[in-house]
Amino acid sequence: MEVINIKDLSFRYPDTESYALNNLSISIDEGDFVVICGPTGCGKSTLLRLLKKEIAPHGHLTGEISYFNKPIDKWDERKLIEDIGFIFQDPDNQIVLDNVLQEMVFGLENLGHSNVDMRKRIAELTHTFGYEQLLHEKPSELSGGQKQILNLLSVLALKPRVLLLDEPTSQLDPIIAKDLLVILDRLNKELGMTIVLVEHRLEELFDIADKVVMMDKGEIAYYGTSREVINQVFQRQDRRYIPFLPAVSSLYLNMASKFIANEIPLNVKEARTWLASLSMESSGETKKIKNRAEQATNPIIELKDVFFQFDKDKPMVLKNLSLTVQQGEFYGIIGGNGSGKTTLLKVGLNILKPQLGKVKVFGQKYNKKTERQLYRKMEYLPQNPLSYFTRDSIEEELIAIAKKHKLNNMKEIVAKQLHEFGIEHIKSRHPNDCSGGEMQKAALACMLLENPEVLWVDEPTKGLDPISKRQLATILKKINQKGVTIVMVTHDIEFAAKYTTTCAMMFDGQITTEASPEQLFKGNYFYTTTINRTTQNSPIDEALTLEEVLTLWEKSKASSY
Amino acid sequence: MENGFRAYHPYVQFAYYIFIGLLTMYFNHPIFLMTGFILLIFVNITHDGGKALKKWVLILILMSVIIIILNPFLVSRGTNILFYFRGKQVTLEAFVYGITMALFIVNIIILFVSFNLILNGNRFLYIFSKVLPRTAFLIMLSIRFVPLLKNRLDQISEVQQVRGMSMTVGSLKNRLQTGLLRLQILLSWSLEEAVQTADSMKARGYGLGKKTAYIPYKMLKRDWIVLVTMTLLFFICLAGGMLDYGKMAIYPELGPLFFFPIDWVLFICMIILFSIPIFAEGREKIRWKLSI
Repeated sequence: MEVINIKDLSFRYPDTESYALNNLSISIDEGDFVVICGPTGCGKSTLLRLLKKEIAPHGHLTGEISYFNKPIDKWDERKLIEDIGFIFQDPDNQIVLDNVLQEMVFGLENLGHSNVDMRKRIAELTHTFGYEQLLHEKPSELSGGQKQILNLLSVLALKPRVLLLDEPTSQLDPIIAKDLLVILDRLNKELGMTIVLVEHRLEELFDIADKVVMMDKGEIAYYGTSREVINQVFQRQDRRYIPFLPAVSSLYLNMASKFIANEIPLNVKEARTWLASLSMESSGETKKIKNRAEQATNPIIELKDVFFQFDKDKPMVLKNLSLTVQQGEFYGIIGGNGSGKTTLLKVGLNILKPQLGKVKVFGQKYNKKTERQLYRKMEYLPQNPLSYFTRDSIEEELIAIAKKHKLNNMKEIVAKQLHEFGIEHIKSRHPNDCSGGEMQKAALACMLLENPEVLWVDEPTKGLDPISKRQLATILKKINQKGVTIVMVTHDIEFAAKYTTTCAMMFDGQITTEASPEQLFKGNYFYTTTINRTTQNSPIDEALTLEEVLTLWEKSKASSY
Repeated sequence: MENGFRAYHPYVQFAYYIFIGLLTMYFNHPIFLMTGFILLIFVNITHDGGKALKKWVLILILMSVIIIILNPFLVSRGTNILFYFRGKQVTLEAFVYGITMALFIVNIIILFVSFNLILNGNRFLYIFSKVLPRTAFLIMLSIRFVPLLKNRLDQISEVQQVRGMSMTVGSLKNRLQTGLLRLQILLSWSLEEAVQTADSMKARGYGLGKKTAYIPYKMLKRDWIVLVTMTLLFFICLAGGMLDYGKMAIYPELGPLFFFPIDWVLFICMIILFSIPIFAEGREKIRWKLSI
């Protein structure tokens, strides 16, 4: 049964020439799990919003969207609100009331359901999803993942038949994101609910999804089952979408001499089965792992025996933590939610003051006199870069900084900076109107104009699509090569494994291990990359990244001939 | 989970505070007020061990002392003259009046402390929404925004501090400038995010016809019993008060302190009414003890 049918849909925002959606047709069957992906600005969010009448953007629309073979304008408003649920990206903004229970019944109240009905539905939902303990909490005190599950429950209370989700996991850490996807998979399999999901993080989604849609410039570039889409993208070597492919599939596609579309592995298990079937043996030689460069002893950041707690009655967030960052390092700190990563960063920046212990930067302690001086040599990129900008456009921000430093030939420098970071096209925009990735690049461009020696970065990959992530990595690498020390807090293990020079794992308020990424991640069960999980104890050499596997593979091929 | 008086229906709790408040204003007999005072302290102790009340102790004592001392010197009405102060008569009546006045104010404040502990947040809004549903909803929305705004402002302050725009160092003009700048960022940021909140409300059918209200509280048999008992006791007290029992004449001449038989009836009714939270809590305690 066809749930949603879109025919020749074109959509243009007011006052723009180009079409956000261009002659797009697609049909979605009942019970389908559809994943829509594509680079920022490809129109995927616009498409999703057009399916939900109440929040559809205004603009010029041609073509037809029908729900169960009837145009959505002809349906009763109430019926559509109940049938089509929508979940937004930011967990915080969609919560309306500061009470979990009230939030969950909000939709039911609006639609005039009886009390008995509300009680029944809430009881059922909280029980099924194990949310009882949180029923009497305040949403503002919940974690990001708990908030997003609350949003899901408050939509589910209306018993929707179709669930639309706009990047629901982009603000969550990978483990919690996974939990949410498991819930969605369950809804799809147990209730046959139709799910349409827009998402960047596709590593696990290809395995769950029935259909994958890849969009570009308002059009559908690829459409089909996960394997079909992966196969097509790879066969055409479509550079726009190769970064979106899951690592395990890329591994297979790059290594298999003759690949069969139906056998493309979508998860670690399938990839391992395929690897085991290969008639080859691991070279056996354990590669010498480089130790962290011990000769360089020019510590730039030193934390010694630091204790920190937010309040007298609250538990210690940092416990006897010591950390040294050498000059010129790209230092990654990884750890789960609530392990104290961000707190550590803020203590290092003197935004939070530790109860006990020493914090030294450039060999100096923070105090009223040194603080200003030290800040001049450091920059801090927060999770949401919006809080960095003080001017109405990116160019103005850059000019203001150039003025502050009394730089000559200001215009040239600003133009050069804009060019270098690839943000010329958005220079006159308000930071608010930029995508997350663009905003981040702009903030970095501004910061680098200040010539910092140390750059502190907090969760830079949050909410970025794979392409923006690559661009960010290139920028950070470049900055690092120029001699800027980078301290980065992240829960993106793949990112940390690929790009950092030293990695530390935080657990329970302490740095449990500190080593090169190779040393730290190899052999881990969960805290490692998908490629590593695939290659552990397999016929091929253990590796962390796809590139590493491929170089090893080439080498072994060459030697066997 | 909530138990004791906290578990009662908000209506019952609200009725309690209304009744007690009215009676405190109604009876001015020092013994009535004094008994009320002691009982209300116990009520507060049953809520949270007197933690919230402790913060008030100093203020309450200071205020009472000032009233008791000042009143006789400012007011010289009354017949029983104690002594003269700078040619003005200081009377027993004015002194006693000061005491009743102080007790009255102290009682009301203690009652409010208890009110705050019991009928907080949602319970209060629940009662409020019966009278003004739209305003109540608006208040609930704003309550949600407080932690959000604070969180954002903190983030902005942190980043701007590292950027070298400090609120603690520099000239007053500079500090004001950075402060305003932060507020400006907060405003544009929050407006952006509020649009999403509005979308989320629309997506769940806000503004689509008549709203029903989820009622998280149910009037149980226990609640009805307590409510009826309280109302009965209140009206007995009210009727007695109308006949001038439970009150003492102060001006122009201090009346007798002793109780008439009907005064005793009122007194007992009042004690029971005041002690309802204590009974509720005590019953719970005894039940737990016995079940072991």
